[in-house]
Amino acid sequence: MHAVRNSVLVIALVLCSAAYAQSQVVVGVHAQKRPFAVTGFTGDPTVAGQLTEVLKNDVWLSGCLALAQSSEAEFVQQGNVRSDTGGLTIECSVTQTATKKTILSRSYPGSAQDLRRVVHVISDDIVKAITGQRGIAQTKIAFVWSRGKVKELAVMDYDGYNARQLTYDKSISVHPRWSPNGRKIIYTSFLQTFPDILEADIYTHQRRRVASFPGLNSGAEFSPDGLSIALTLSKDGNPELYTMNANGGGLQRLTHTPGAESSPTWSPDGQSIAYVSDDRGSPQIYLISKDGGEPTRLTVSPAYNTEPNWSHPPPDSEIKPMLALTSRVGGRFQIGIYDTATREVVPKVADDADNEDPSWAPDGRHLVFAKTRQWRSRLYMLDVLTGEQVELPAIEGGASEPAWGP
Amino acid sequence: MRSRFLSHAVVVTLIATLGLTGCKNFHWPWQKKTPAPAAQQPPPLGEGAGIPSGERPIITGELTHGQFPPVYFDFDSVKIRPSEVAKLEAVAAALKGNSNKLVIEGYCDERGTAEYNRALGERRAEAAREKLVALGVAASRITTISYGRDRPADLGHDETAWAKNRRCEFSIVKE
Repeated sequence: MHAVRNSVLVIALVLCSAAYAQSQVVVGVHAQKRPFAVTGFTGDPTVAGQLTEVLKNDVWLSGCLALAQSSEAEFVQQGNVRSDTGGLTIECSVTQTATKKTILSRSYPGSAQDLRRVVHVISDDIVKAITGQRGIAQTKIAFVWSRGKVKELAVMDYDGYNARQLTYDKSISVHPRWSPNGRKIIYTSFLQTFPDILEADIYTHQRRRVASFPGLNSGAEFSPDGLSIALTLSKDGNPELYTMNANGGGLQRLTHTPGAESSPTWSPDGQSIAYVSDDRGSPQIYLISKDGGEPTRLTVSPAYNTEPNWSHPPPDSEIKPMLALTSRVGGRFQIGIYDTATREVVPKVADDADNEDPSWAPDGRHLVFAKTRQWRSRLYMLDVLTGEQVELPAIEGGASEPAWGP
Repeated sequence: MRSRFLSHAVVVTLIATLGLTGCKNFHWPWQKKTPAPAAQQPPPLGEGAGIPSGERPIITGELTHGQFPPVYFDFDSVKIRPSEVAKLEAVAAALKGNSNKLVIEGYCDERGTAEYNRALGERRAEAAREKLVALGVAASRITTISYGRDRPADLGHDETAWAKNRRCEFSIVKE
């Protein structure tokens, strides 16, 4: 394994992850991309040019489609845009080449101000028509935006555009996590000196204090039904895992060790929680029932495994839930996926940079993570089936601890 | 600020020339994006339902370090080194004969992941607290804060810097 890793390191980045992806973990899933031609839009050439550019990017990022020439495509897109009194009307159709059948033909109202949003809707309709699955083009990503000592939260579109600030505290705001309905974000805030769990409404910006016990309040994550929160509190002496009602109260302690428990992540069925514990030395991933009881150790190697993040793919998806994590190997952080069958961590992003903070997209196929080179952190998207990495548009300052919204 | 405004102005003018006035949300792929500038007051912070906020001193503004030298730790360790005990004895002595409170801040170097380091920094602060309690300071007078790998004392990226960043800082809060 080490020999493989070392030899792969000298090869280009994308090739490196692709080599891993093809041999590992995701067995029996159709990772092949369907060739798709974007012929663009007729009408006002400037608007049409923008629509085409964004649609190509969406198709490229979808994972399930590959941009192709019309002559080689399984599906061909055509479109038209026209100005009305109220704004723009964008028409889009997709034809299956072999059958000549039109699998999508729709008209979308829009305006010059929200072209990107409209194209994201179109892109998701295309993915739905071809694969039957929900696309990711309308999802959002929350992240920590750092400039000097200050860390604020920000939210952007999944493709890295339209970033806007959520907090304006000039303090430290970290570890954002979404409510399942995509309306709220819970996070760790040092606004009132101590690390507290706050909740912010991403539309109204109204905020609420969720937990502010003595000591550490951090690492909060909503349960899949949105009714509970798992978090780390040190109020009873050292960092332990707890659950509480999302509306407050109902505090329940899950772990009892002299070590530190942190980074809880809920299983897709909401019945158990994976987390980090260093109780037996170096940090490793454990699993415990949401009601407490005896924990099970999951990872044994490498010597440092943290930041577990459980994917929650749709129930009808052929992609099974996966547990992503951050390992430290040779002094570098790398993104891996825990294989339940072999109990091994399979490296997915292992290169000469530090790769941390994996967070799954709702499709259970893509994840976003932070890559740090020369002490500057940027966000990347990974397609775990193909191993392809895409750098999201750069933001002034650093971007880290991303959380992919529902 | 000014140059960003100017570059935006150029882009907007360009788009306007192309007959696309008002299309502010579109960005070419090669254009760098920046979140909206900070503005306004943050919205008020509502209280959580039924959550006790616990016994914590009210702290306004920054905590002042420097009254006591920091206590340093080994890599990935929460053990108080014998060399650091005298520093904690000095902190305990300063808390004798008064009712002042103490805030201990735990910090880590950058070689751990973010959330794990928040837990590790907390355990370092707790290790210092345990030693102070053993030296006769009431536990109720001590509050801990973990910054994890944030707010390093030394911005360098070598062992000299890391050794200075694996630390606890102590601040007296006067009653």
